Amino acid sequence: MRIVYMVVLVVGIVAVLADHLTSPSTGRAVSPEDFAGACAPCGAPCPSTRK
Amino acid sequence: MTIATAADVAAPAAARRDWFFLAGACVAAALLAALVLLDGQPASAALIGLGFALGIAFFRAEFSFTAAWRRFLVRGEAGGLMGAFLLIAVAAVAIVPVAALVPGFGGAIAPIGPSLVIGAFVFGIGMQLANACGSGTLYTVGSGAGRMLIALALFIVGSVIGSLHLPAFLALGGVDPILAANYLGPWGGLAVTLASIAAVAAVVAAIARRRGANYAPSRTIMIGAIAIGIICIGVFVAGGHPWSVTFGFTVWGGKIATALGLDLGGAEFWQWPGPKRALKDSVLTDTSSLTDLGMILGAMAAAAAIKPFARTAWPPLGSLLAAALGGLLMGWGARIGFGCNIGAFVGGVASGSLHGWIWFAAALAGCTIGIRLRPLFGLSRE
Repeated sequence: MRIVYMVVLVVGIVAVLADHLTSPSTGRAVSPEDFAGACAPCGAPCPSTRK
Repeated sequence: MTIATAADVAAPAAARRDWFFLAGACVAAALLAALVLLDGQPASAALIGLGFALGIAFFRAEFSFTAAWRRFLVRGEAGGLMGAFLLIAVAAVAIVPVAALVPGFGGAIAPIGPSLVIGAFVFGIGMQLANACGSGTLYTVGSGAGRMLIALALFIVGSVIGSLHLPAFLALGGVDPILAANYLGPWGGLAVTLASIAAVAAVVAAIARRRGANYAPSRTIMIGAIAIGIICIGVFVAGGHPWSVTFGFTVWGGKIATALGLDLGGAEFWQWPGPKRALKDSVLTDTSSLTDLGMILGAMAAAAAIKPFARTAWPPLGSLLAAALGGLLMGWGARIGFGCNIGAFVGGVASGSLHGWIWFAAALAGCTIGIRLRPLFGLSRE
């Protein structure tokens, strides 16, 4: 199990680094709720909006 | 006569310390914090640090929603559940008024309808099979429970599948979020929120008393609940919204699926502004991912600081299957039901949003099914 954890830790950190260095980083961290019309933590719209 | 010195007492603990994983967790957290600081984002670094603190707090207090709910349902013991209510009350004191009064801050809200109820119910089944919820998965993964690596992997898969199904469940109908502060103002909303927590706690205590069980939280649980509640306030201040966990898993899964060649861009969920941006931008610009990563690393540091890390044997196959199925159900349920114990229950109730209590009731009902299924996988009902 220890070896698995070493692999997961290294692969995980490398994956995060690779994603960060190859993706846009447009300023402060946000949640989907920060966007107009969002009605849930995942950014789903409100039922009234969907209608 | 030999007198033990402080150094002698500390020596065994130091000998048990796992320096590789302790240093690895601290260096990884520092590296992530440095990356966001290089982008000029101190709030993001704070979220990583607060996640790290959450990992330590959960690990040290052994704070578990899943076990607490199971003890209440099986034996009537409500001490753990009371700890959760205390945590929520602490967080609510800041979240309800600030979300209502300060521009740029918002509570955890969600539509109320079939999607919320079905998702929370399925999540409840999954959390008893996996033996952890969203936050529990993070800190047990971090603290070296290999079984939970499988639960986390399937949690991520389930949340991506759920993201594809969510629009269809939203189409079943529902009403817009109901937020106490919208009707009663910030202070009236806070009063009603705290009163609702007290009322539910009183009902839970009455049930425990009737079953002859304990309902007073232990000292460790109380300290843990207050500490976690205060850290929740910190996450709220740094991120602008209450702490949430499972959207991060959906983002990770979406990015992995995209890297494997799957095109999620055509799916309705991934066209909504928030998920669309999260899929495109760096994972370190998503608030829930920042606290998730910090929490895993914090729990890893806390576990490695007191004992050799991940030295236990893998559990039996049945237990691994339960973890896999539980993770899958939690991932799907969290996406359909707008979050987990943290984003929906703690965040929702602490924001004065009615959906938090509905999520709690539906997930508790799901737990009763999950508890009955546990023996099929060789797990104890208790």
